[in-house]
Amino acid sequence: MSTSAGKIGAASRAAAAAAVDAVIHNGRSLEQVIPECLTEALSPRDVTLVKALVYGALRGHCLHQYLISKLLSKPLKKKDIVLESLLSVSLFQLLESDQPDFAVVSATVDAAAVLGRPHARGLVNAVLRNFLRQREVLLKAAMQEPAARYRLPVWLLDRLRSSWPDTWEAIAAASNLQAPMWIRVNQQRTSVSDYQQQLKTDINLSAESSAVCPGSLKLESAVRVDVLPGFESGHSSVQDIAAQLAATVLAPKPGEKILDACAAPGGKTGHLAELSAYGANITALDHSAERMQRVTENLERIGANATLIVGDAAAPEGWWDGELFDRVLLDAPCSATGVIRRHPDIPLLRRDSDISALTDLQERMLAALWLVLKPGGQLLYTTCSVLPVENQSVVAAFLQGHPEARVLPVDCLEHVAAKHIGPGHQLLPGNPLDSDGFYYALLEKAAE
Amino acid sequence: MSLLKILEYPHPRLRIKAVPVAAVNDTIRQLVDDLFETMYAAPGIGLAATQVDVHQRLLVLDVSDDQNESMCFINPEIIARDGAEITEEGCLSVPGVYEGIERAQHIRVRALGRDGNSFEMDAEGLLAVCIQHEIDHLDGKLFVDYLSELKRQRLKKKIVKAQKQTSVTA
Repeated sequence: MSTSAGKIGAASRAAAAAAVDAVIHNGRSLEQVIPECLTEALSPRDVTLVKALVYGALRGHCLHQYLISKLLSKPLKKKDIVLESLLSVSLFQLLESDQPDFAVVSATVDAAAVLGRPHARGLVNAVLRNFLRQREVLLKAAMQEPAARYRLPVWLLDRLRSSWPDTWEAIAAASNLQAPMWIRVNQQRTSVSDYQQQLKTDINLSAESSAVCPGSLKLESAVRVDVLPGFESGHSSVQDIAAQLAATVLAPKPGEKILDACAAPGGKTGHLAELSAYGANITALDHSAERMQRVTENLERIGANATLIVGDAAAPEGWWDGELFDRVLLDAPCSATGVIRRHPDIPLLRRDSDISALTDLQERMLAALWLVLKPGGQLLYTTCSVLPVENQSVVAAFLQGHPEARVLPVDCLEHVAAKHIGPGHQLLPGNPLDSDGFYYALLEKAAE
Repeated sequence: MSLLKILEYPHPRLRIKAVPVAAVNDTIRQLVDDLFETMYAAPGIGLAATQVDVHQRLLVLDVSDDQNESMCFINPEIIARDGAEITEEGCLSVPGVYEGIERAQHIRVRALGRDGNSFEMDAEGLLAVCIQHEIDHLDGKLFVDYLSELKRQRLKKKIVKAQKQTSVTA
């Protein structure tokens, strides 16, 4: 079969603008918005493009917003605010894609009409042409504005700068890069080298293994999961290497009783099952019944069993059966500032004021789950945050109040983690593993 | 690897019904590789063995935007279908013709992979369209068969005329 040459049309652009608008102006997450904006009218090819446009526009949003403010003589009317997102989508393309400028401008003008703003066609045309004329000057001026230059909101830049004075610029830069696709090979079903070979033979895809995390493969390019060999039968799963290191560091053994707190969507639960050769007694806990459905699906796919409990990790009295756990994984709710490269909506949705509520929750969960851990057992506290207030500070405060707790060194993280500024290990975006930002503190409870 | 010649409508051999592949061996895998090479070079997004005058039930496709998601279906069967959608289709065996064709919107297909292992998958959108289009080839059917008699005759005349002209100048 063949197709007539398809170019990105106005409909795709309008769909992308609507999604960006829902994130920026309605505070909704990409996870909710993406499925909604992908209407039936879009082909799979368009879907890929719409996603690329949405991610690109959000990654560059702080810069685009600056440029738009300079290009508009007066602010947009409230009812036309969606046009800001449409312009953001187009600026992303003009700045970073190899689409010819004229094609971008003409399709954007049409997209304004698709969005029900035909009166704004002239405005859109003028703004974009103005940008093309003054491009160099505008971009030079933008470099003087921190948010536009580092493409992150000022509150986050301030926190990064004070937390990581030597590396904050590299963290910001890495957070705006597209993330690679990492997969986890189920070593109970196949070996990493066999799977690597299978990827090459079946779908002509190269993948790089990692000495730090056995079982991880970094794909040379992203593919849809349905083309991954044996995906449906659980031979592999999609998971960043940083997340894979959580279960790897906790190292569950057959016969042990394990708790995965804050388990949804169940990637780490499945990994715990695989690493214990399907022999551990795993409990997966999450506060959301809806998200627990994802855990069920994930476990079914890899053929693993777990006891699923909908409950609050900070309040074990509501769900715990009184039997202590050998190992506990607490992947705590956090600012997710380590995974901005995968979720460019995060810095735009979060507010500085969210952080203190999160640290409070993290402290309460850690203290509560410590009580369900056996003496001699291990608890791994992780977050996908790069902010020390959610990581080192939480663990340090906990250690002060718990003399029976000590932090174990984790050798495999030692040479890839950032320099120690407190207990535990911090992977920062831009690290040699090419992983997400992630924090790990492996705590051991003294035997009685 | 080699580029194979694609039969063009109204070539009578496009009407042969293909037989199931008996065993997925190296010969078949070689054919799969050649089909991919031929498809990408054309350029197309799907190619059935029938189109290169091999009458065995196998097809290859890649509907991804970056042309980096190759898929191979050996002895494919559609085991479920629902919905209806019209998509503009073209065909490497009917060059230059693009027409809206109505097909099932969602399908579930069972086939063997390049490794000979059986798999099932759900498809929708362009992927579903392409799979149905290519399976039709294996049954000796072409997308122009769905057009009205009048339209098809007109197309046929135009294509035959174009083919004659090319053979004169060649």
